Amino acid sequence: MKLVGIAGSVEDHSYNRTLLKFIANHFSDMVDVEILDIQDVPMFNQSDDQTDGEAVQYLKRKIEGADGVIIATPEHNHTITAALKSVIEWLSFKIHPMSGKPVMIVGASYYDQGSSRAQLNLRQILESPGVDAVVMPGNEFLLGDVKQAFDDQHNLKDDRTISFLKETLGKFIKFVKVINSMNKKADDDDWQSEDLNATGSVPTTIKGLNMHAADWVDQATAKTNAVTGNTYVRLDCGVLTVDQLNYFLNSMPMELTFVDANNQFLYYNHQTDAKNMSASRKPAQVGNPLADCHPKRAIPHVKQAIHILRTGKTDLFKLPVPSNGDKCDMHYYQAMHNDKGEFQGVNEFVLDILPIVKYYLGLTGQKLVKDPNAKTDAVSGASSKATTPKPDEVSGASADTDEAPVEKSEAPAVDEVSGASAND
Amino acid sequence: MHKFIAMVGTNSTESTNRKLLQYMQSHFADQAEIELMEIKDLPIFNKPEDKKVPALAQSMADKISDADGVIISTPEYDHSAPAVLMNALEWLSFYIHPLVDKPVMIIGASYGSLGTSRAQAHLRQILDSPELRARIMPSSEFLLGHSLQAFDDAGNLVDEQKVAKLDGLFADFQVFVEITQKLTHANAANKQEVRDLDWDKL
Repeated sequence: MKLVGIAGSVEDHSYNRTLLKFIANHFSDMVDVEILDIQDVPMFNQSDDQTDGEAVQYLKRKIEGADGVIIATPEHNHTITAALKSVIEWLSFKIHPMSGKPVMIVGASYYDQGSSRAQLNLRQILESPGVDAVVMPGNEFLLGDVKQAFDDQHNLKDDRTISFLKETLGKFIKFVKVINSMNKKADDDDWQSEDLNATGSVPTTIKGLNMHAADWVDQATAKTNAVTGNTYVRLDCGVLTVDQLNYFLNSMPMELTFVDANNQFLYYNHQTDAKNMSASRKPAQVGNPLADCHPKRAIPHVKQAIHILRTGKTDLFKLPVPSNGDKCDMHYYQAMHNDKGEFQGVNEFVLDILPIVKYYLGLTGQKLVKDPNAKTDAVSGASSKATTPKPDEVSGASADTDEAPVEKSEAPAVDEVSGASAND
Repeated sequence: MHKFIAMVGTNSTESTNRKLLQYMQSHFADQAEIELMEIKDLPIFNKPEDKKVPALAQSMADKISDADGVIISTPEYDHSAPAVLMNALEWLSFYIHPLVDKPVMIIGASYGSLGTSRAQAHLRQILDSPELRARIMPSSEFLLGHSLQAFDDAGNLVDEQKVAKLDGLFADFQVFVEITQKLTHANAANKQEVRDLDWDKL
């Protein structure tokens, strides 16, 4: 489990930050806590939107990637600090990364109240609809007289305080699991919203064309005045002509396909005819929405796969398709992001890994043998159940990189593939 | 004639809370002198170790000290007062204490129907804290809901009931200021206490 901790202070020296660091270090065997920095977050101003700025985006990414949040709040004037409130305002204005997120509140103060009023106030703020966090009820951890609370090594001195904190954190870990499994239930259906007909648009969508047209590439070229031939293109780390780019991509030892964030198929490296390809593509298909490129039965799986990439549940989704022992095609679906971490589409690459495995075995004088412990049910994966989509199984597939979900009808079990290569 | 500071509780360029204060400024021009105070240029409060407040905070404090009372108009963000207003009040209670025993009237405007009810309760709680200790006018709320539709082109409040309510509250506030000026017995002690409050020496 991964938590992030936010100390509600921008002071150079903050006891609330010390408290979070203590939690992160002392309970590292229970949970992984990363402490986030709010020093660079500007004062919230609705007429000067800085949601896209690095400081806010950093918090958004970290919070979205975490299972839960611990906030340590000081108390200024019977309430939380303006610095913390400003952070929460940014995170409830145009973006809502705290929505549904389990939160634990702790706090330290110089006086004996231990931030009691600030904590109550913070609860109220976090439960407002724009923030929509799920704050753990009860279990207040109030650290009063904080100046005397820590020793020279920044450890809490009082054993009973430590054991109460441990108990509270233990409850929060359970709370996080419960809340996230509740949220997951709702998320499970989200994949259905993936629009494979690409009826929406992204900023790069070439508008006003018929996506289904066989000559879409020519139309799109005319419409955008796309450069061709020996025109130079500046890339991240290099300059190439369009021709050189084509030589380069067409000589890649794999089939490459580019699908944008609008689920439109925009490119593949055209190396050979469709009938010779592992994942067949025709030039006339380019420009199609993804729904055109898949049989109806596969649509739920395509939606699920794209959705877990779009939502960042995984960045790389793998699907092995072994066939008759002479090939083992791996379909890789890699999420693409811009420098702000925003989803830009999917890079699908397909390659046959069997020659690589064989080469390696030959090189090292080894052979494959059957694993008596191999899970035989590994083959009953997501793609064999096209009519009853279960997102769990798709996620399972991406997590279990060693165990292959393949279509039962055409695929041998994993160990049969191994057997085949061992006979070579 | 009383002199009031009207604190705009937001840094937004477009604000119906600013509009409301501007309306009061002209509507009550024959009864009181109201000067608007903006808070957006203060830095984020970071409790500097040298205990120095920015020059801007000091000049705001001086103006408040010279005034007979303060009117604060607050938006509501996330069921509470905006960070930028909390920030101004943090500076105005950091080794300077212009709001101690100062009469304060709280009002607020919001786009929705609730009219900042929760932000006003929050603000009351803040102003009651030991380093602010303002004299908040009790049992009074001016909640302006649906504030985008509340003003005409000349910036006047459209709803006559709201105007009557504001007139009444403002008249009360003027009396409240007079009464507060008589509640001076603990004044010296209050001021001494906040001066003595030094978190470093706790």
